[in-house]
Order: sequence, then structure tokens, then C-alpha cells
Amino acid sequence: MMKHRVWAVVVGGMLAARVLAAGAATPSAQDILAASDAVRNPDYAFGVTTTLIEYRAGKQTDTDTLMVYSKSEPSSGQFRTLIRFLQPARDANKLMLKNGNEVWFYDPANKASIRISPQQRLLGQAANGDVVTVNLAKDYKASLEAEEDVDDGDRKRRHCYRLALAATSPDVTYPRIEMWIDEANNHPVKARFYTDSGRLLKTAYYRRYQEELGGVRPTETVIIDGLDPGWVTVMRGSDYVKRDVPDAWFQRDYLAHFNTQ
Amino acid sequence: MKRRVLGSVLFVACGSALAQTSDLDALKLADTAVANVEPPLDWQWFVEAAVGQILADDGLGSMANNRWSTNFQLNTALTDRFRFVMGDRLDVTSKNNVTGQSAVNTLKEAYVSWQIDKHRFIDVGRIKQLYGAAIGYNPTDYFRTGAVRSIVSIDPNSLKENRLGSVMVRGQTLWDTGSLTAIYSPRIEAHPSSAALDPDFGATNNRNRWLLALTQKVYRNLSPQVLLYGEEGGSVQAGLNLNAAPTDALVTFFEWSGGRGKSQLAQAFDQPAPLAFHQRFATGLTYTTASKVSMTLEYEFDSAAPSAAEWRALRQAPPMVYGQYRVTTQALQDLATKQSVFGYVSWQDAIVKHLDLNAMLRFSVTDNSCLSWVEARYHLNRVDLALQLQAAGGSRASEYAPSAYHYAWQALARYYF
Repeated sequence: MMKHRVWAVVVGGMLAARVLAAGAATPSAQDILAASDAVRNPDYAFGVTTTLIEYRAGKQTDTDTLMVYSKSEPSSGQFRTLIRFLQPARDANKLMLKNGNEVWFYDPANKASIRISPQQRLLGQAANGDVVTVNLAKDYKASLEAEEDVDDGDRKRRHCYRLALAATSPDVTYPRIEMWIDEANNHPVKARFYTDSGRLLKTAYYRRYQEELGGVRPTETVIIDGLDPGWVTVMRGSDYVKRDVPDAWFQRDYLAHFNTQ
Repeated sequence: MKRRVLGSVLFVACGSALAQTSDLDALKLADTAVANVEPPLDWQWFVEAAVGQILADDGLGSMANNRWSTNFQLNTALTDRFRFVMGDRLDVTSKNNVTGQSAVNTLKEAYVSWQIDKHRFIDVGRIKQLYGAAIGYNPTDYFRTGAVRSIVSIDPNSLKENRLGSVMVRGQTLWDTGSLTAIYSPRIEAHPSSAALDPDFGATNNRNRWLLALTQKVYRNLSPQVLLYGEEGGSVQAGLNLNAAPTDALVTFFEWSGGRGKSQLAQAFDQPAPLAFHQRFATGLTYTTASKVSMTLEYEFDSAAPSAAEWRALRQAPPMVYGQYRVTTQALQDLATKQSVFGYVSWQDAIVKHLDLNAMLRFSVTDNSCLSWVEARYHLNRVDLALQLQAAGGSRASEYAPSAYHYAWQALARYYF
């Protein structure tokens, strides 16, 4: 009886030690998500030129180029974004300011700043920015669903954490997200974005990792529409630059003076 | 039961396999994506050709309305602190064989901007300065009077785009949660000019004016804008602009201006009239559906406009008298009657990709007249093709059917360089 008790204590102790060791080695789901946010975007203000190439049924239908300035807000940790449209020619130099759910559109032709709803996003492709320049850890509660091998955007096998993200803020575009993050380096590999009812809205693959802004970051995101898999958007970043953007610039009244040169 | 479970498992497995296949196809497609990133341009230039007709209500009269236009816009750095901004448009219109062609050049803006530091700016020159939270009627857009030289479309976006700026000195200081703008716009010429190439300072700078605008964030995404405006020989006017986005798909707005002044009838006929407090406002909402349809509904009010009885009398007055009032309210860009309702619907990528459908309706609560406008616009790479139809409904000399010409259509092509 005593032997059994000792044995049970030893086995129990070993199991507890293993669990504790595992607990120490595996960071929390929220920490994994925050680390993956830090891989996508630096914690300082930066600029990037983003090209969006859109395909429908295998044919290239649109190419838009935007100059994007992002800076996280100290209180919310969320990114504020100033976008200058460069291409196509009809949209050249139009501006969009996104500060939380406050979105302004400025057309230099009529000099009017119009408040638009997040859903109204004029020049539609801008909504795709939400899958890149966003701090998910601030607005979502993450839980670890599994550890599994998945193919990344370059069709390489990666061992990943699979996280389920539930929105904690009413202002977010996607109520639920499923995200795969490389266990070795916290690189986001892919994500699926869902409606409240569980309908798939889009799938994003983060790929073409390279050294930018002091870290190895994905420079291309491939976005596949949830309803129409033939609708594919490639978001490609270039000309990354650290740039001091004053907080005062993220307001409507600055837009008339905004320039990126 | 077992079958149903098995069926569900198979469905999920098949769905997953299909998703993986489509993901793989998409990634292969993305591998081939090539895009040349061209350097940003500090200018935009387009030319536009339009053909159209204006038709009388009885179907008997019509006149051609053909036009070509060129529009150039520039915003370029002179040094690291100074920029030069200009915008110019030339419209050459051919209405019928009798009047031949007429040209109107609109020097929209030409000014130098000095960035003193990252938070302070001073701009000097002809500047298009627009204010207003509403879409169809902007009572706080104080520099709108006399600004439109050439009307090429009744779309409010077009009226805001194709207009003259005012010569002014503008200073702006920004802080993290707000801004203050101060403007002084001097008198330069007494009377407007209809000469084709005249910069027409008499239309926009025929009196000394000033404006102060303060914007301050007061709560989360709520940043009211308060304005004070004064002009030579007039009382100070106060203004307020408010916007909010209560949901992800809805924007609400409220724009108000009030102060002592003459009624619009007294202004039109230059009558000595006692000053009274008048207020003008526009309020409404814009709702956007998931399928990219945006719908705006706006209520507009102008207490300086004629009462119902005055309006009835004016409609019975000789055409010259009625015409003088309409010309004045058009120059003021105010409502001709006290109350109006404005609706605007915009559908991006309607039915087919790159096709935008826009529709506008104005309705006078005072005399039940209405004005409707629809546009189908198709975007190619550097070319826009558009068809616009316009119809006015209402009895003789009503707000939105002032003449016998009730219908118009216009087809246009625009090329961006």
C-alpha cells in the first residue's frame, strides 16, 4: 500500500513537473498573438508603399497602389492609418484617414473631407488593410486550439499554433478569426476571417518574409475571398521606411496639408 | 443518424479539401503577380468630351449641350517647407448653333503653402476652402457665394469640385486632439466678370471676410467643429459641424449656421430690410450595405428663404423678378424655399465590376417640385465613360422646375493622363 502511495507520489510529481515545464515553455495564446502582431508591424510609426493586385476568375482586373502611414495609438495600442492613393490615375492623391472606427475620405479635387462609415470605405480595396495593419492582440481574446502542421503561402510545411480569436471590441471588422502562427518564430502563416454566424469572409496567407524595419516581416499577403475563391487579392509591400508621424496629423483638419514627399 | 453524421464528416472533409485546392490555386496565381510601382505623381490631368441635349417639358423644344473640358491639378514641393498648389479647369460649351461656342476658365486655386513646423501652416493665394458635414446643402460652407462659374453637372460633388477658391491668408495650428484655423480674405474687385479667361476675383473677393474654425475632440470619435464667420457689412455668423458613426455601417451628420442678416428676398432685390436672426441647417445619415450601396437621406432648412405665401407671390411675379431671385439664390448656393429633402444613392461595382451607379433626388417640401439625376459610370484603366440623365418635375416656376426645360441627358468620356 505504502509502495503504491510512494509510486503514485513519484509519478504524480513527474507529471506535475512535466506539466509545469510544458507550461513554462508554451507561452499563452495571447502572448503568441501579441508576438505575431509584432512580426507583422513594428511598434513605431512607419510608411510603406502597398500594391494591390486583384484577380477575378484567374484574370487580373485591378491594380491599385497606395502609400500608407501607420502609427499605433498609445492608449488603445491600435494602428491609426493615413493612406494616399497613387494609382489608378483617377484616384491619384485622394486620401483616407482611419482612426479606430473614425474614417475620413478627402478628395483634393473638391477639398472636402467626408466622414464615412468603416463599411463605406470608398475605393473598396482599402478594407483589405485590416488583415495586415492591425494589432489583433488588442481587440481579440485568443485561445490555443491545436498545434498542427500546415502549408504556408510558399507551400512549405510549418509547425504552427492554431489560435481561435474572439473579438472583445465592437469596432472590429471581423468578429471571429482563426490564425496559424509558426511555433518556431511567431511568424503569422495564415488566417481565416469569419462573420458572427461563422461564414468565411476571407483567407489570408502571409508570405515573402524578408528583413524590413528592423525585423523579418511578411512583405506579401495573399487574400482569398470566402464566398468566391476566384477573387484573389495580392497585397505587396515595398519601400518600407521608419517615419515620424505626429499624432496631430491623424485628424480631418490635417488632410488638406498631408503630403508624402 | 449515423448516415447524417457520416454525411457531415464527408461534407466537412470535402469542404476542407476544396478550400485547400482553391487556396493552392490562388497562391499559384499570386506567384505570377507582376506590378510595377510607379513613383507618385504630384499632378493630375484629364480631358473630357461630352455630348448631350436639354429638352423642354412639352417635347417641342430642345437644345444641344456639347462640351469639352480639361482639368489640371498640381501639388508640388518648392522646398522642404514650401509647396505650390494649383487647380484649373477650362470648359468649352456649345449649346446651340445660334450662340456658338462659349469658353469658361475656372482658376480653382493657386497658392503657396508654408509648413512652419509639423503643427503649423500658413497658406497664401487663391484657396478652395470648404466646410460642411452635410452632403447636399452646406450652410457652413461660407466661401461658396459666387464660386461656381461653370455648371457641368448638378451632382453636388461636381459643384464642389468645379468652383473658384477665394484669395485668402490661412493659418492653421494643430494639436493632438484638434485644430484652429484662421482665415482673412480681402476685397479685391467689386464685380464678377464673365470674360472667359478672367480669374474672376470679383466673384469671390468682392468684400473683406474672415473666419475662425475650431475643432476639438470631446469624446472618443466625436470632434465637433465650431465656426465664426464675418464679412464687411454683415453680422457675425456662427456655425457647427457634427459627425458620428453609431454603427459600422452608419454615419450621421448635423450642420448648422445662424446669425443676423437680411432675408434672401431682400438680398436679391437689394432692399433695405431690418436684420433678423436666420438659421440654416442640414441633417441626415448615410447607410452603407455590405454590397457597397451607400444611401444618404438629408433634411435641409433655410429660414432666410421666402415663406410659402411669399414664394407663391414670387412665382406669379414677372419672369424678370422671379429670375433675379433665382440667380441670387444660385449664386448664394442656398435653398430657394425654406425646406428641402435630399437623397443620394451610390452603388460601387453595381451588377458588373467597375460600373458605378449614382442617383440623386431633391424634393421641395414647400412646392412639391423635384429634381432627379442618375448616372452610370464605367471605369476602364485610364478612361471613364458615363451616361447622365436629369429630370425635373413640378408646376411652373417651382423650386426644381424653374423653366420649361425639364429633361437633360449627357454622355461623356474622360481620359486621365
